[in-house]
Amino acid sequence: MSERTISECPASDRAWPRALRLLHWASAVLVISALGLGAYMVQVVEDPAERFDLTQTHKTIGVVIFALTFVRLCLRVLTTAPRHAHASRLLAAKAMHAGLYALLLLLPASGWLMATTTPVRVPTVVLGLFTLPYPLAPDLATYRVAHAVHVTAAISLALLVLLHSAAALAHALVGRGHHRRDAARVRPALRPAPE
Amino acid sequence: MGTSHFDRLVFGRRTRGIARTGSSWALLAAATLALAAGSMVRAAIPAQGWRIDEEKTAIGFKIEAVGFPTTRGRFTRYSGRILLDLDHPAKSFTSFTVDSDSVELGSKAFDDFVKSAALLNVTRFPTLSFTSTQVEKLDPHTARVTGNLTMLGVTKPVALTVNVETEPSGKRRVIAFSATATVKRSDYGMIFGIPLIDDALEITVKTRALSDE
Repeated sequence: MSERTISECPASDRAWPRALRLLHWASAVLVISALGLGAYMVQVVEDPAERFDLTQTHKTIGVVIFALTFVRLCLRVLTTAPRHAHASRLLAAKAMHAGLYALLLLLPASGWLMATTTPVRVPTVVLGLFTLPYPLAPDLATYRVAHAVHVTAAISLALLVLLHSAAALAHALVGRGHHRRDAARVRPALRPAPE
Repeated sequence: MGTSHFDRLVFGRRTRGIARTGSSWALLAAATLALAAGSMVRAAIPAQGWRIDEEKTAIGFKIEAVGFPTTRGRFTRYSGRILLDLDHPAKSFTSFTVDSDSVELGSKAFDDFVKSAALLNVTRFPTLSFTSTQVEKLDPHTARVTGNLTMLGVTKPVALTVNVETEPSGKRRVIAFSATATVKRSDYGMIFGIPLIDDALEITVKTRALSDE
């Protein structure tokens, strides 16, 4: 492995592919909207009609996030991650990303389970295009479990999003010297043997 | 309106802006006189008309649900009549019919859902109605009106508690009626959402009659 300055690293080494980055930011906007809407519609809204409307919007956003995450994961599996020399930080990043992906699938899935098993069954029309199927019969016990999972996962996701944003910001601001510093560490293999 | 020995009140509204229906209104003393005299009620009493204050007429409902705000709705198209005998309350009568399609809860999506087969099923049951069978005066301001409520094609007896207030308001006389009843909607086959949405449905009918002056 030769020593290179940051400008000599190929782009794929330094950054995620453009498609993944685009999907990431689209997803980020949707996730923050869904989290915000979920908290707002349950904790703040007092008008039942507004609550009804916001719930339908919240469900639609959730379905889109699920579809988006599925596409992202397919692309991610086929992508080589950018180089990262710090093993411990790499592990932390991988754990964070895995956690985020897991929650991004768990949240819409538990939400869908809520929508299908609730005694208060309201059709979910996604973007005016199709109606979400409800293959399970209403069951109050299952609904209560799905609801608990959904809320817990939502709070977890909110916390992870905050951590993830902080880490990404720190990396962007502080971590730029990586390649230059770590290039020096690559050299030991080329050093002459100690006497 | 001639020969009836009841004070008759007819109210109804099809859509906003259409002129309200009304009727002439005979005073009680004159009504008894009319019985004896047989007719000519108008000639026996000073000319006085009453009209329904449609701005203050409302037919609505309220329902509670777990983890959801209290839901209130109203019906904007209805018709009805009240025949009131203040001296012999037991002879009074009321009936009203409501267009189920005229329900309003505050948003189109919410209205559409409540009108769907899950709840009001308006395409199959276009009306809700109530017809009184018995009126009992409880005290000078309260009456119990028992009657039949028809909802989703099912008819069951219901008792409404009616508050009656007569107010001299300057030169005008005002009679205000406020009736409430709580029904178990499952009795009528409306089981959607139970137990998360309450079985108890509170129905309220308010109306006011003003004398012309």
